[in-house]
Formats: sequence, C-alpha cells, structure tokens
Amino acid sequence: MTTLSLTINGQKHGPMDVRDDLSMNDFLREMLGMTGTKFGCGAAQCLSCAIIVDAPDGSSTTSPTCVAPAVSFDGKSIRTVEGHAQGGQLSVLQQAFINHFAFQCGYCTAGFLGEGQVLLERLARAPVPREALERTIADALDGHLCRCTGYIKYQEAMRDVILADSNRYLIAAK
Amino acid sequence: MRPSRREFVKWLSAGGISVSLSHLASATGVPFAAHETLPGRGKFNPATKGAGRVDGVAKVTGAKLYASDFRANDLPGWPQTTSHAILVRANDAAHVYTGLDLGRLGGALKPSVVVTAADLDRIGTQVPEFYAGDLFCPPGKTPLYLGQPVALLIFEKFDAFDQARLALRDGTFVQFGEETGPVVVPDYGAFRFTRVAGPSPDKPDVYSPLQAGWVSPKKVQSAALPVWSPLAKEMPADYAKAAKHGEQIRAELAADDASMLVLDREFETQSVDPMFLEPECGLAWYDGKGGNLELLLGVQSPYEAAESIAHLFGKARAPYKPAHINAQFAHVGGGFGGRDHTPFILYVALAAVCFPGKPVRLAHDRYQQFQGGIKRHAIKMRSRIGIDRATGKIKAFAADHVLDGGGLAHFSASVAVVAATGAIGIYDIPKVDVRTVAVHSRGVSAGSMRGYGILQAMTALEVLIDEAASELKRDPIEFRRRNALPQNGRTMTGNPYIVSVRTPEILDKLEKHPIWQQRAQFRQTSSDRLVGTGVACVTKDYGSGADGSLGRVELAPDGRIVIYCDHVEMGNGIGTALANRVAGHLGAVADEVSVARVDSYDVLGLVTSGDPSSIDQKTQDAAERNPRWVPAISSPTSSSIGAHVGTHSAAEAARVIFRFGLWPAALELWRIPRTDPRARQWASASWQNGQLTMPGLEMAGLEPLALPVLAATAHARGFVTGAVAHSFSRWAWSRARFPLLGEQYRADIDALAIRKGKGKFERINRASVKFPPTDNNRIGTAYTSMCGTVVRVEIERATGALRIAKAYSVFECGTALVPEVVMGQAQGGFAMGVGYALLETLPPFEGGPGNGEWNLGRYLVARGSDLPLRDLEIEMLKPQTADEAPKGMAEVVMIPIVPALINAIHDATGHRFRALPVTASLLKGVLA
Repeated sequence: MTTLSLTINGQKHGPMDVRDDLSMNDFLREMLGMTGTKFGCGAAQCLSCAIIVDAPDGSSTTSPTCVAPAVSFDGKSIRTVEGHAQGGQLSVLQQAFINHFAFQCGYCTAGFLGEGQVLLERLARAPVPREALERTIADALDGHLCRCTGYIKYQEAMRDVILADSNRYLIAAK
Repeated sequence: MRPSRREFVKWLSAGGISVSLSHLASATGVPFAAHETLPGRGKFNPATKGAGRVDGVAKVTGAKLYASDFRANDLPGWPQTTSHAILVRANDAAHVYTGLDLGRLGGALKPSVVVTAADLDRIGTQVPEFYAGDLFCPPGKTPLYLGQPVALLIFEKFDAFDQARLALRDGTFVQFGEETGPVVVPDYGAFRFTRVAGPSPDKPDVYSPLQAGWVSPKKVQSAALPVWSPLAKEMPADYAKAAKHGEQIRAELAADDASMLVLDREFETQSVDPMFLEPECGLAWYDGKGGNLELLLGVQSPYEAAESIAHLFGKARAPYKPAHINAQFAHVGGGFGGRDHTPFILYVALAAVCFPGKPVRLAHDRYQQFQGGIKRHAIKMRSRIGIDRATGKIKAFAADHVLDGGGLAHFSASVAVVAATGAIGIYDIPKVDVRTVAVHSRGVSAGSMRGYGILQAMTALEVLIDEAASELKRDPIEFRRRNALPQNGRTMTGNPYIVSVRTPEILDKLEKHPIWQQRAQFRQTSSDRLVGTGVACVTKDYGSGADGSLGRVELAPDGRIVIYCDHVEMGNGIGTALANRVAGHLGAVADEVSVARVDSYDVLGLVTSGDPSSIDQKTQDAAERNPRWVPAISSPTSSSIGAHVGTHSAAEAARVIFRFGLWPAALELWRIPRTDPRARQWASASWQNGQLTMPGLEMAGLEPLALPVLAATAHARGFVTGAVAHSFSRWAWSRARFPLLGEQYRADIDALAIRKGKGKFERINRASVKFPPTDNNRIGTAYTSMCGTVVRVEIERATGALRIAKAYSVFECGTALVPEVVMGQAQGGFAMGVGYALLETLPPFEGGPGNGEWNLGRYLVARGSDLPLRDLEIEMLKPQTADEAPKGMAEVVMIPIVPALINAIHDATGHRFRALPVTASLLKGVLA
C-alpha cells in the first residue's frame, strides 16, 4: 500500500492508502465513484480513459488511466470530465461538441474532451498558423478511438472553437 | 414461475428506471456535480433550444448513463457495497475441459463463490431456446466453442477481484485433458431462394419464394454441408420444386454459350468484432429469499433480456427462484448489433442469484469482450453471373453461401437468410438461385452485427459487377444503371419494395461527381504511387419483418411534453428523434424523453402468442379476436428500425393527442363550432413558431394559439391529454379502428389508451384490426434504402500503404428526423466500412479472440488518420415528398465503401482481391 494525495478538479483528495497495483482508472471509478472517466480497453489504445494532468508550470497533458497505477499520480493535479463545466456553465468545447452533434453513444466523449481541452490550452500558450490548424487538430485527436462517429464532427467542433477565437489560438496572418 | 407475457409485462412494470433527460431552461446555474445526472433525475434537454441531442449535456459532463457507470450505492434501496464477478471462459475447444486450478488464488484472493455447471443443475436453471447450449461447459466435456463460459468467480471485495483478475490473466488455470477435436453440431439453418421471372415484368413469376414459400433441404446430419440436389432421398417436395428450377438456372450458367459472359468467382469475408467502446456490463442483486431480483443492464433488446432471465429461473428451485424481477436499462456505449440478444445478461443474473443478498457486478474487460462477445459472420461465397453480351443485361445469378456461425446459433440462420435474399443487390435479375447454410464451428459465436449479412454479400456482388463491366468493356456506372431494379420491379423473393427505390438518382450523382469524372486524369498504374478510383452502389433492408414498438406521450397543463419509448439509445439519437417526431404533432420539443422503457404501457394490457415470423394466417385470425392481442409486443433496437419503428408509436400517440385534445381545444378558443366545416380541417392545421395556425385564420380575424394555452384548455375541458400506443410492422403496419369520443378513429396502430384531462389512462379496445398478412413472412424485405460511394485511393508501391484521397457517398433515407444524427451515422458507417475493408480481422479458431489474448492494438479499427476527414463528402438525398416516412439508414451507409475500395484498388493495381481485409502487407505482396 502507498499513501496517495492528489488534486482532482481543484479538490484535494487524500492522503489515503491505495494498493500499489491499483490502476488510476479503478481508483477514480471504484474508489471515488467518478465514472465519467471511462474504461475501454485496458491497454491505452482507445484513450476513452484519458484525463488531463496539470503540470506546475501551467502546461497540461493527457494521460491514460487504465494502465497507469493510481500511485503514479501522487502529488499531481488532474482534471476529469466532471470538472470541465464550471459553476453550472458548460465549457466552450463541451458546448461545441453538443452543437456539432460530435458524439453518438458518447462513451469516448470524455477522452476527446480532455484531449481537445489540452489542445486549446496549448494553442493559447503557443498559437499555430492557420495553415497548420487542420494537422494540429488531427494529430492531437488521432490517438482517441470512436466507433460511432467517424471523427469528423469532433474535428469540426474543435476547428470552430479555435476559429471563433482565432486571435487567441492562431498566429495572425502577416 | 414461467409467466405469461401479460404477467411478464406486469413484472417489468414494477421496475425499469431508465434514462430520462429533461428540460434545461438554461445552462447557467445548473450544477454539474459528478452524480447529478443519474437517469431519471436529470433536467437537461438542450434540444429545446434547438441544438444538440437530448442526451447531449449528460454525455459531455460525465453523467452516469451507461450500465458500466453504476454501482450498488448509486441505486436507491440497494445495499451499499458492490461485489464483483469474473466470467471464466474456455480457451480451447478441441480438448476435454477438466476443471479450474484456482491454487494461485489463495488467502484474500480466494473467490467467495465459484459457480459451475453443477450449480446450474442444483439451481434448476433452464436455458432460453435462443441460447441453446450449456451455459457452462461441465468438466468432462469438450467446450462447444472457444470462449464458452466454464465458471463464474465471485469476489465480495473489489481488491480481491482486482488482484485475482490479474493473477488469472494468462488463462492457464483453465485446464484441459484428452484431445477430442471440435464438437460436431448440426448446421443452424440451410435455405434455398430461387426465382424464375415470367416472360415479361408484367407477367407473374414462374416460381418465387413469395408464391411457394421458403424452402430448406432435408437435414443430413452426417454431412458437413447440406445436400442440395432435388433428387436426394426423401427430399421435401417443396424443396425439390425450388431446387429443380435452381439447378436449371445453374445448368444454363454452365452451358457453353458464346453470347453470354459468365463469371464464376469466390469471395471470402472475415470475422470481426463490433468493438463497441463500452464492454458489456451488468449489475444485479437478489435478496435470496425468493423475492426480488434487481437488474441494471445495457442491451439493445431490453424486453428480450428480461424475458430470457425470467425463463432462466422459471423452473428454479427455492430459494433460487425469484418472485419478482425488476429490470432497469441504461444507455449503451455502442451496440452495432452486438448487444441484441446477448447471452451476457444471463450470467449477470446468475451471479446475483448465486451470491444472494449481495449486489454483484459483472463487467467484461476488453480481452473478455473479444473472447466472448458476438462477432460478425465470416462468409465464403461462390457467385456465378451470366450477362448477355449484346444487351449488357444480367440474365441469371447463382450463389452459394457458407456462414461460420461459431459456437451458438444466435441469429445465424437469420443472417444467412438476409444475406441470401439480398445477394442480387440493386439489380433486376430474372433468374436467381441462392443456396445458403449457416454452420456451427468452434469459433466465438457470431450473430447480429451492423450490415447483417448484406455487407458481406454486397461486397462480393459489387466486386463481381465491377469485373463484369470491365470484361464487357462497359462503363461501371452505366452497366449498373442498365441492370438496376426499377421502382416496381420484383426482388429475389418475388415481391416489389414498397418504399422508394432511388438507385437511378444515386447512380447519376455518382457518375457526375468530380471523383468519378476525373478518374482517368488521376489514374496512375506505373509510378511509385498508384492511384485508382472505384465505385459501388448497394441496397440494405431495414426492419426485421416482425417489429413492434410502444410509445406513450403525456401533455401537462403548462404544455410540457413527456415521451416514453421502449427502444434503446445506443448513440443512434432515438431520444432526439422521438422528440422531433412528436414535436411535429404537438408543436414543441419534449421536456423529458425516456427511452428503453418497458414498464409504461400496462394500461394496454397487451398479450401475445406464437412467433410473428412463422405464425399461420388462421392462427393469427383467431388470436386477433382478442382486442389486446398483438403479434409482438416489443422489439430490439436493431435492423436500422430506430427511426422507422422506434418512433412510430410515440408519434401516433402524439397524433391522437393533437386530434382529440389540442384540436378541439383550438376550436373552442377560436370559437369555431363543431358544425362548422372548418372543424374537420385538422389536417390543414400546422405549427409555426410554436403557434398552431390554419389557412384562412387571419382572414377570419383569429390568432394563432400557443401550445401552453391549448394544453391548459385541453386539461380544463377534459380533452385527450395523453396517449399510449402500440404498433406492429410486418413489411406493413397493423391498422385498427377505435371508437374514440363518438368517432371511429383509424390509425396505423393496433392498441391504444388515452387520458382525458387529469384523469387516468384508459384502454380503448379496438373495434377492428387488420394485421399484415402472415404471407408477408415470405418476403425477404419490402423496406430498403440505397447508398452509393465513389472513392479514390493512393497506394505506395514500396510499402503497400493505402491512403483514401477522396470519397463521396450519397444515400437516401426518406425524411431524416434529426439530420445531424443521420449525417453522423453516415460518417461513422463510412469509417466502420473502411476498417472492415482494410484493417479488421479475427482468426476464426485457435489464435483467434477465443483465446482471451486479443485487445486493441492487435485488433485494428479505423482511426482518424485512416480516414479522409477533410476529403469525405456525404450527401443525403431530400425526401421524395414532404411526408415521406423515415427510412432506416444506419447500416446501408457502411456498405458501399467496402466494395468501392476493392474496386479502386483493382483500378490502381490491376489486382482484384477476393478476400477481406486488404491490408498493406497484402497490397505490398501483389505489388512486389
């Protein structure tokens, strides 16, 4: 057993004792009841289990939770799908996914939201030229599997959010 | 305990929470806490604002929606702790199963309960006929198939379960002895479909399944495949008659006739997994004292699931025999057919009954889902086609299909029939003979999956058609147009389609598309990068030929609308489609849509008997004298029937509310007396911007009326404010007459209940009914949708890597209830088709998924980078008329891309592949 403390969606959890071989996915879903983070494959291949990990320097990445031990998140700050909306207000990306009918069964949606949110925040820090946008979106989302939608509407939703605030996310054309 | 259907419905009525997504006045101020949106508790419905799905907010906020999200402590009244079960499956089906070695599960890891075949005998379970076979392989027998369950291990604590599943991962604890070879089982079904057209289209057929019925050869148990000869000993007379015509067609195809081009080709398709993203899961709790069995499941067939579980324990001994079953159904994280009639639910129920007093969760991980989940049939097909060289007209077609059904029969016979009766695709062919057999094998069970045999048959056909056009030096699209079945032409079973046939329009669209127009310009066959273009056009049935649906609509005094429906939300947008279809009658999007409900229609008091697919006319005529009898009560959400069937009953219920509630309310408010001719003009009324209006209203000095005003009046005056309806389709709707408020009301429903004002629902016994004739069971399909695709591919000669450069698909679906959802399904279907054509495959036996070692990574499905996301154009044809009914489209959209890709690969490489998938390594091989 190892003592685990971490911050989830801005709320501190722990210290608590967890088994060393308990996956982060089971920690969230079984111990905390936070089932918004899904289990798809258990092999980090579909990324329906991905969450956001916030680094102290302000940068963020996504991480699969199905193959990662919960204890590897000790001291870290993470965001899950339950934390995207703030104060009863959907995030811009959540609303865009709804407006675009981006998902169908919705089981992959939490993973796409996390990845998309990280991309938005990365672009806000380091904008890309307009001509690089499509490749940037495609590369960011490509690890995520969706069996229902064919991915197009997810990508359209991402593109619309970015273009709607292009001063923030894109390098201005000269 | 085996109940009648009527009793059964009563059982179900006691349970059945299901997903209920309600009105969201504004996103602002709504708390999005983790557990806030449990089914039935949410207040979210962004569709009321004109955007998104009714389940949209729940899905982007991580609400608990799916069966896998729930634990016992999420459910009111359940114990707080959840126990966990592992379903152990055989990874060998050629040796005798000897038992489990659980020595590695010592101490805290020891399971609380181990359930085996011996326990089933002790309990007294009975296996539902659909799942015939040992639920658990008993020691001493060779497993019937790879992946057959052998035991359930139940762990009271999660940690023990979690560690045990890791300890058991390698599967070596499942032990086997003597080699026996695979178990031999008779085939699941063999059929012959033969049609010989009359001398001209307006003349009757010489022979057809519609005239003569469907025929099967005599069973020959000692042979692996049926004996098809009409001359074989003791062959049934009806079969011999069909076979005589069939053999004549085959003889003509085999004749040495220089005026005919005859191609004789084989094509093989592979086994694949539906790969829905949420592995199967269920939660159950049995009180252990002969009382309640509570279940929470995620399936496409809720009614069937509960019915099968009731059958399982119907003759169980005390204390294993529940007196009451509460079945609750959640959203499903993808289905694609793989959750329709899934045996998984039986094991969920067994786990609870064998661990009384403790809620038990059974959840597949992905390895287990590959090992035990229903697969798509691999099919070997041999096709012969004869074409008159002078006219380019197809004269005859013969085919033989062999489907690998795997270990359980499941829907294998049905898939074989659908593949066979759909084998001539969009074409008008006067002489057809298709023989098909679904065989048992030791492979993982195959069953229903999106495309349902048509995907396989259509791929073989459209590749063959492409080759034929090439041999005849005819343009592939012109050749298709020349041979396309016209609107009133007869299908292979001898009946015409009763819906629109828009093949010519689709072929025209394909032909004019730049991808096709520029095919010669882009074609490269000699450089490092090969480029080719391919086309295909297909048709796919929707509906199963025996589909029932239930719907209930309630209108509150303030105009709030609540809809209940028995069909399931699996991403298909059924909830949103229901809301939109009801809105067409009631003028507003529902505030609450509750799907997967099988508990809300008791007032109809429905009863049923017999099999709607095989019942004879005399029996049906006798049964229908009972005004509560219907051929089938509820159907799985499958066969692309969500829009067509799933929304029908609710739409008809809404129609009744309008006609006998809102319309009389409007007449009162407009002060139009019932004797005024305008009082009969309800059909000309319409909703505009939420207001009910009718032609000439302004001229008469009257104002349009808002729904809340009308609803309040309907309630105050005791008009109809709620309706419950049932409908049934056997390639036509049942139609009944109801004495309703002094009128004889006729509609495409067969059972009706209404509520007046704030009163209770009361059944209106039908005065007469016309069910579709039982002869309609001889129809292959009467409902169909068409889709065509043209695609350009680029192939790297050195590596075989294929890139889809551009693609265009065009399809028709009648009236699209939610166009955005329809388009999303079309895009997703395209992606699934690409995966099927180029990536996905499962070895059938040893080394295949039955060994428990398969997962994503090894099994490849299409990712975004495999698809032309910015270069895929999909066109949905507008309905032919403003009131054209919705047509099922979820399956047809995945099909034409598969043969179009194979044809494009041929165009680029000169090699015609005759098996799927065409992987990069195979391409590299032929290009070397």
